[in-house]
Amino acid sequence: MTTAREVMRKADGLPTLSQVVTELSKLIANEKSSAQDFERVIKPDPALTANLLRLANSAYFGLRRQISSTRQAVALLGIERVFEIATSASFTRILPDKIPGYEIDARSYFLHSLAVGAMAEKLAELTHVSAGDMLFTAGLLHDIGKLAIGAFLIADPDAVRNALYQREVRFVDVEKEIVGTTHDEVGALMIEEWHLPQELGWAARWHHAPNGAAPPADQTMVDLVHVADALAHMMGFGADVGELKRTIDDAAVARLKVKVHDLEKAAMATMESIKEMSEILGGQA
Amino acid sequence: MDKNITVDIADIKTSDDPNAVIVTYALGSCIAVMLHDPVRKVGGMIHFMLPTSSTSPEKAEAKPGMFADTGIPLLFEKMYQYGCTKESLIVKVAGGGALYDDNGMFNIGKRNYTILRKMFWKNNVIIKSEDVGGRKSRTAKLHVGTGRVTIKSNGEETEL
Repeated sequence: MTTAREVMRKADGLPTLSQVVTELSKLIANEKSSAQDFERVIKPDPALTANLLRLANSAYFGLRRQISSTRQAVALLGIERVFEIATSASFTRILPDKIPGYEIDARSYFLHSLAVGAMAEKLAELTHVSAGDMLFTAGLLHDIGKLAIGAFLIADPDAVRNALYQREVRFVDVEKEIVGTTHDEVGALMIEEWHLPQELGWAARWHHAPNGAAPPADQTMVDLVHVADALAHMMGFGADVGELKRTIDDAAVARLKVKVHDLEKAAMATMESIKEMSEILGGQA
Repeated sequence: MDKNITVDIADIKTSDDPNAVIVTYALGSCIAVMLHDPVRKVGGMIHFMLPTSSTSPEKAEAKPGMFADTGIPLLFEKMYQYGCTKESLIVKVAGGGALYDDNGMFNIGKRNYTILRKMFWKNNVIIKSEDVGGRKSRTAKLHVGTGRVTIKSNGEETEL
């Protein structure tokens, strides 16, 4: 059996999310950071800048006013929002064509990631709760652990299929059984290793077990990502091998006081923006 | 050569090209209704997300295929434009999946199916065959030339 740390160590060649995102995390943590600092970090990467601006002008992130520079994006959207956009724009770059072990291609995996980010934010709005400045990114990166752990699952694909299709157990339990650890544990570690904002690690760690979250983890954020993850799968955003083999935590639902019509509204309100964002980051996504 | 026509989520597609295969991927709790006229060799498919448009009339206006109550009638109308009649159409249904512990609230799939049955019953539409519910996501294909429908889920493809 393998521990989460061993998975991290053995997952050779797993790229860090991006140097730019790491730099931006540092800037966010520093109150003295300015829009110029942001621009200085992003500017050397023209492809990233281009995608960042296209996303900043998308229906989801955009304002009525056209944004034409990183500096302007920071001024109009705020540093946290620009960090979220930069992270989204960087994320597609580290995705392999197919995520091993999960029978899902990069496009569907990324679509699911975007959907959870957007649905979590919409659910927060509809249920009138707040969950920090990084909720979108928390949703975006919740399944990041799958990128590292997948290689351990393909060692025994029949065992995975048998467990899923014959015994009907949860997919995270299959991971635990076969690998010894789960994508949520590994994901939280990756976020820590990459020095990303710690709240992103909370959502990754507890999105399948929201009741495990304890302070300082933001319970509301964890609950929102948990519910959004299920909703995104139900709507078919990112059908991987685990598909619908998951549970919904009643306590998380009760804490959020989320209602049927909130779920339906969140799904319908985000559908087109999710597709647009995915198309903007094109090619792979 | 088969020509794939993809039906996105909240989308409706029809075709009278006998070589066309109308396909939709990743039906979770969403439902695909597939219509086929074996005489005219016309096929049509909707991939709807939610049961009723009452939650958002504006969305229904812009994207009628999102909801069962606006999308299904529209799919039938599109088929009638090819000269099909209600009696000439073979109806198949797939999707409406669920999560493990569905305490009701998250069971959008079941609500989708319930409204569909209600609409069909009211309008005397008979379902020839269906593959609905369960903890699975499905890919559905409708071959326009033959009316053959296949469903792929859990790594296996079956005829519907």
